[in-house]
Parts: sequence; C-alpha cells; structure tokens
Amino acid sequence: MTDTDPLVRFSGVRKTYGTFEAVKHLDLDIGRGEFVAIMGPSGCGKTTTLRMLAGLEEPTAGEITIDGKRMNEVSAHDRDTPLVWQSLALFPFLNVKENVEFGLKMRGVSKPDRHGRAMLWLERLGLKGFETRRIDQLSGGQRQRVALARSLVTEPRMLLLDEPLSALDAHLVIRMQGVLTRLQKELGITFVYVTHSQSEAFAMADRVVIMGHGEIAQIGKPQEIFRAPKNRFVAEFVGRNNILPGKTPGQEIVVAADRMQVSASDPGEGALPAEFLSEEFAGTGIICYFEGPEGVELKAQVTEDQLENLAPEPGQRFWLTWAPGAAHVMAGT
Amino acid sequence: MSKRFDAYPYVWRLPLLIWQGLFFVGPLILMVAMSFWLVRNYRMEPDFVLKNWDRMLGRDYFWNAYWVTLWRATLAGVLASLIAFPASYALAFRVSETTRRWAIFFLIVPFFTSYLVRVYAWQVLLAESGPINAVLGFGGLGPFTMLNSGFGAMVGYMTLVLPLVVILQTFSLAAIDRNLIEAAWNLGASPRETLFQVILPAARIGLILGATFAFILSFGDFVSPFYLGGSKPPTLSILIIDTTKSGQQWPRAAVVAIMMIATLFVAAFAAVGAAYGRRK
Repeated sequence: MTDTDPLVRFSGVRKTYGTFEAVKHLDLDIGRGEFVAIMGPSGCGKTTTLRMLAGLEEPTAGEITIDGKRMNEVSAHDRDTPLVWQSLALFPFLNVKENVEFGLKMRGVSKPDRHGRAMLWLERLGLKGFETRRIDQLSGGQRQRVALARSLVTEPRMLLLDEPLSALDAHLVIRMQGVLTRLQKELGITFVYVTHSQSEAFAMADRVVIMGHGEIAQIGKPQEIFRAPKNRFVAEFVGRNNILPGKTPGQEIVVAADRMQVSASDPGEGALPAEFLSEEFAGTGIICYFEGPEGVELKAQVTEDQLENLAPEPGQRFWLTWAPGAAHVMAGT
Repeated sequence: MSKRFDAYPYVWRLPLLIWQGLFFVGPLILMVAMSFWLVRNYRMEPDFVLKNWDRMLGRDYFWNAYWVTLWRATLAGVLASLIAFPASYALAFRVSETTRRWAIFFLIVPFFTSYLVRVYAWQVLLAESGPINAVLGFGGLGPFTMLNSGFGAMVGYMTLVLPLVVILQTFSLAAIDRNLIEAAWNLGASPRETLFQVILPAARIGLILGATFAFILSFGDFVSPFYLGGSKPPTLSILIIDTTKSGQQWPRAAVVAIMMIATLFVAAFAAVGAAYGRRK
C-alpha cells in the first residue's frame, strides 16, 4: 500500500431495489486527503453510493475496497466511515458532550480519555461551554458543529457528508463551507461530500463527480466541469451556460455565460442575434436572458456597469459573441 | 376596553368538567368522608372517628394484601414489558407497514370481548383436568396446579394488559427516527449496543407508559386474582369486596380504596417523572 494508491475504490458497483436501479455501474477511485463532491439531481444514486461506502446498504454487484481491503461484507459498525446526516441524527436523549463521546464509548475508550478527546474537539469547533447543553437548546449552526465533532472525534481517515448544509440558512452555509474546507485541509483526511448544490460542491471540492440516472456523467475539477461539460446532461445540470449547435450536424458546443459578450450593434460574422428577455442578479454578476434563433434561450453574465451601459429593454435586439477558445465541443449527448 | 366574554370554549369544556366532578371528585370526597363514619347495626352513620383507619392500617391482613397487590402489579408491569418487547420490536422494525397495521388491528380485537369472558376461558384451559394439562400429560408431565395460584392470577393480568403494552411499545418504537439507529451503527455501536444505548432511551416514554398501564390495571384488578388466583392470598380489591360483604363495612372499604388511589397517584407521578424527566 503506498500513499498514491486510492483510499476508496468502487469497481463495477451496482445497487438495485427490486426492479429499480439506484446505481447502475460505478467505477470510482477516491484518493487520500481528497475532497470529493458527488453531485446530481434527486434520485441520481449519489446518496446510495455514500450509504454503500458507509455499509448502510450492501452492493448488489461489484466491489468496494477501502485501503485495498474488500468491504462488501463488513458491517457498518465495523467500518471507520463516520457520516454526517442531512438531519444530523444527533441523539436527543444525550447532551452535547455525550453525543460527541458516543463513538469513543462504542470503541471502548476509557472514561477520562473520552472526556479529554471530546472536550478537545468541542473546543476546536467553538463549542466550549456547551458540553452539558441538550441538543434542543442549540442553534442550527451549533448542532452542525456537534455532528462534525461527533464524527471526527475518533480520528477517522475519511468523513462522509450527506447534504449536511441543506437545512441551514444561507449565511450559515457560507460560514460552514469555510469551517469544512479548513478542517479538511488541517486534518488531511478524505471528505466525500454528497450534495445537489453546485455552489457548495464547486466552492469546496478538489474533484466533482456528477451523477445521473445511477451512473457517473463526468468527473473533474470544478473548473473543468463548468467550462468543459462532457455532455448535455452535465451542461444542463451545471447551468449558467449556453448549449448551441456545433459546426457539424449533431454536434453541440457549450459556452459559459460569463464568456458571452453582449453588444448593441452587429459586430459581424459569428454573432448570434438575440432578443433581450430579462435579467437576474446572481451575486457574482448579473445574468441576462435572451431569446436567440429558433427560440433557444441564451444567457450572458455581465457586470453592473455593463448592464447600465447596455440599458436593455425587453424585446430589444442584441448580438452575442464569444472568443473561439471559450466554446467547448461536447462529446456526446 | 375589556374583552367580551366568550362562552364558546367554556361550553365545550363543560361536559368533561361535569363528568369528572360528578363521577370522580364527588365520590372521592364522599369516600374520604365515609372513611371516618361508623357502622352501627349494619347501618352507616356519619361521624368523625379514626377507628376505621386504625382498624385497617393496624392489621397485618391489610398490609399482607397491600404488599401482595403491590408486588404482583409490579411483577405484571415488568413481565408484560419483557414479554411484549420482542413482539413490539419485530412489529416496529422487521415487518412491512401493512403487516404492522393488521397486527395493531388484531391487538385491538381482544378488547371486543369482555375481559371476564376471557378469564373464564382461562379457567377451563388452566384447570387440573383441562386441555393444557392433558397435552402436558402426553409428554409425561404434570398435572400442574395452575388455577387458584399466583401463576393463575398472573396469566389473567397478562390477558388484560399484554395487547395494550404491545400497542404502546410498538408505536413508540416505530416513531424512532431511523437515522438515529443508523447513526449508532455508523459510530461503531453493535446491534446490542444500539438497542441499549439508542433504541431504549429513544423509546423511553412509550416503554415506561406501557409498564405503568400494566401496573395500574393489574393493581386495581379484581377479576384475575378472584377467578384465577382463587383469592389466595387476597389482594386489595378482594379485600374491599370482603369488607363490604361482611357487616356492611363500607367505611373500612373506603380506607382500603383511598390507600389504593394514593398508591396509584404516587406510581403514576413517579412514572411520568421518569418518562418525561430531564436527564441532568
């Protein structure tokens, strides 16, 4: 076993429930110290994948190995794969410290040792002074951190997270993203993060796995997924881009919205004429929506200054252009 | 500006208040008063003497009956909880929603027939020459004396309380968030540890209420200790019957009844405290 060998390997993994194929065929390596986000729409098999890794579901076929060891038959409680649930699943009948100590207690760690390690993690996550609080006396963000402390106190090699931020307020999500990325870098352990939120996945992950219909649609760095989606499914799921017909029949190209230039006069060949529809403030800029040839919806991201200069009116005609390098030719549909 | 008096909510609350007042608080006050009355020539006369209290609480036969009743009711609560739990667990975690619904339905069916009728059935089954001893006889066992014993009474208590305890336990177990159970496994708890560290604490309220109902129903029951236990030894409910029959001693029976109600109040408060109480 060397450090370059993957920590986790899914080989030909399949999971069916009756006639329903939750995961059709999965080959995936996850490296040591890597932050991997598995992303996709509801029912794409991402949560099933995570649950199989934790031993909460057994694969119908294929093999899952951790550190080269076959895990298929290893029951959940014999694995070192702590999971942070969407609902957090904190024990309501235990206080904060008892929740954090739970995993240590199950591993037979002595009481003083348990106490020391739990207190260390509570302090690390800014929960000092909350040890004896009941779970229902905590705010959403505090509960989140208790769940993290409970999972990390046993010093696992990887942490699994199942949409852990989806129940939080928007401002807390950003803050928790910071907490998670910092923790992951400090601990140097593997994070496997399941989410349907692109902003979360793109903000934190080293590598993003896009799943659709029980299969991997694309694996890559956030930037790659965004700039160079492999197919229409990924391009549409990622959004904020334009899917256009390519030069040869059947071919499609994709241009990210922030690579699209808008001009009020026809700049010449290659420009797409389009009618302005509406604008939407999107945090990092403003997304303008247009109707292009044959009713296709087009998007272009502009700055506030650009928007003021253009002063678009609904129905007004504009021309959209992009640099040759900005267009990515998609492999298939 | 004063708020207009709204009679509406009070009208709806009234029937319950009247019912409780007429048939619970009223008789209770009457009973307490009666415990200080005297019986002369088989007739009750209002009075204020401590003689009844002195007579009942000063006698061994009262205390013997008291401890027997308390012990049996406690045993019934514990036994019913233990017997019911595997069934409740299976219904909550191992079967489909449809099967669970049918099971709950069949657990309600016993209440369709009078408890007394079911106890009579047990009299036949448990008799010295009854079917159970006959079957055991084929195996060269017995015959066992099951009727008119503590065992017989306990069979009766279980007949009374088991379906209810299973229903209460099943509901409380089925209501546990499945993520909590998975979280326990995920954190390294074996199935056994999960049961004791997570499932039992999470279902605490329902489990304690189930045991409490079994205790309360068994504590006050007259039918099982009389028809299956053979009044040997007498329980408090049998003592009340005996006391009223012998010499019209209603005031002394009132003393027994008040002691029973006081005991049940203490037990119920303790149980609710244990079920809903905050852990430190």
